Amino acid sequence: MSVITPPRKDHTRTSDLRLVLHQVRYEQKAFWINKVGALFTIGFSVLFLVMLGATNGKQTISYLGNITNDDYYVPGFIAYGIMSACFSMLTVNIVVRRETGLLKRLRLTPLPTWALLVSIFISTAIVAVAQVVVLLLIGRFGYAVPFPREWLAFLFVIVVGIASFTAMGMAISSVIPNQETAGPVTSVAFFVLLFLSGLWFPLQASSGLAKFSNFFPVRHLLLAVRAPFEQQPGVSPWAWHDLGIVVAWGIVAAVVAMRRFRWSPHRN
Amino acid sequence: MSSLSVTSLNKSYGHVHAVVDVSFEVARGDVFALLGPNGAGKTTTIEILEGFLKRDSGDVRVLGVDPGVHANQRWLRSRVGVVLQELAVESFFTVRQVLERNAGFYPEPRAVDEVIELVGLRDKADVKVKKLSGGQQRRLDIGLGIVGNPLLLFLDEPTTGLDPAARRMTWELIRTLSQQGTTVMLSSHYMDEVEALACHVVVLSKGRIAASGTPSSLGGRDLGKVAISFSIPPGISVTDLPVAPSGCQGQRIEISTDCELEVLSRLTSWALVKDIQLVGLSVTRQTLEDVYLGLTRESLASSDGPRS
Repeated sequence: MSVITPPRKDHTRTSDLRLVLHQVRYEQKAFWINKVGALFTIGFSVLFLVMLGATNGKQTISYLGNITNDDYYVPGFIAYGIMSACFSMLTVNIVVRRETGLLKRLRLTPLPTWALLVSIFISTAIVAVAQVVVLLLIGRFGYAVPFPREWLAFLFVIVVGIASFTAMGMAISSVIPNQETAGPVTSVAFFVLLFLSGLWFPLQASSGLAKFSNFFPVRHLLLAVRAPFEQQPGVSPWAWHDLGIVVAWGIVAAVVAMRRFRWSPHRN
Repeated sequence: MSSLSVTSLNKSYGHVHAVVDVSFEVARGDVFALLGPNGAGKTTTIEILEGFLKRDSGDVRVLGVDPGVHANQRWLRSRVGVVLQELAVESFFTVRQVLERNAGFYPEPRAVDEVIELVGLRDKADVKVKKLSGGQQRRLDIGLGIVGNPLLLFLDEPTTGLDPAARRMTWELIRTLSQQGTTVMLSSHYMDEVEALACHVVVLSKGRIAASGTPSSLGGRDLGKVAISFSIPPGISVTDLPVAPSGCQGQRIEISTDCELEVLSRLTSWALVKDIQLVGLSVTRQTLEDVYLGLTRESLASSDGPRS
């Protein structure tokens, strides 16, 4: 039976790259095939931005240097777009796939764990970036909100936001026991935090609510995304403090996710 | 070299001995059946072979390599197909999409069209998985198990839920795979299936091997007594028979014997000479199911072990 002499390794870097691209293609297919789901995910942030912009977009916010509500909402919903794709959408996706046995089935194949996780990450990032681009364009051309003053800082925030919130999504999915609770639990937690963090109603930095929500990463991502948009001279586009807190959450979440990630449904 | 080789395998969960001193060999291209009631150690053994569980002791070789060594697992999963029960498939993809996706994971996959043909889903190739019947989904399961062109295939109750025609088709598929050199490890609750497919059977009971052999010889089945039964026409008395019956119910006669040739010869000559019909004449050995139930009866009483 000379056929079965094990070479131990029959994959190369090229074949690994091809494998990841292959899986990303199917992750994307799975996302876009559900048109209602895709529209809901992408369209929600756009819908909010358009509604809020239409309601009171030109009002200025005195305690934020007299920027308009539009100036406030565009970066806010960009942050929201990242969080909804990487956090709430991803969490539900992972829990459903785990609890129905889809992940376990993938585990029976030679697709390595890292390749699956990288593919999920890339696919989630594509959805997040698509939203960012749409929101930037709507803000610029629909509401005359200038593009970020500092593109490098903006891109950096986007990358950090996507990476950290993906880690948080993975961590949360690992502690949710079943698919029935995944949707409600994540969306309630997510929307409460968004509300408290001032996505819809700008907070004064000194308020009690701001101090409370400063503990969570949501508010810090909102602030970090807004910084590169600041047009006032003297305000740094790099919100290092906020970025640091987001990254810290991301690292803790990544550790939890790696320790607790499981393939099999809880019923087994 | 054997496709599977297990020597003195042991595995415990705490104080529960799930697998105790189990050994067997499976040659390439063989269909091997691992049987036993729930809790007998089947799943534990199979999960160790698949590399999902660590063994406590013993030697295990799958396609010549140790599945317990992490570095071997990717190589093994490229060559071992696994068909489990109750695992979902992405319901929004078509049969072809799912197979193409999975084919992309393997270094030398089987052509997707060939797989679709083999599992008899040609009409359903472009139908979404959620539109398939239970039996068709089960066949897709098998398709996903063989799309990587495996040298070894684990089949966990492959025909549960299939209608008789689909069941026969699956049997044919398993025979074809085996002829092409794929080793098949089968678990099933249907003894006719085991008898039709397997060339070697191991029965586990309480984690130990209770019996092992070919389906026709398992548990001394080939050497045991044979039951001959028939009905005699009205007017013929039991006492007219050339052989003493071991039992009779009305006109139905049953003879249990070790020397079936002699008994049959005397019986049929007698019937021919007297011109008597032996209605519904049948010669049966103990069925595989009888043997299986006899072997596992003891453990049935306490069949709620920790794992199946």
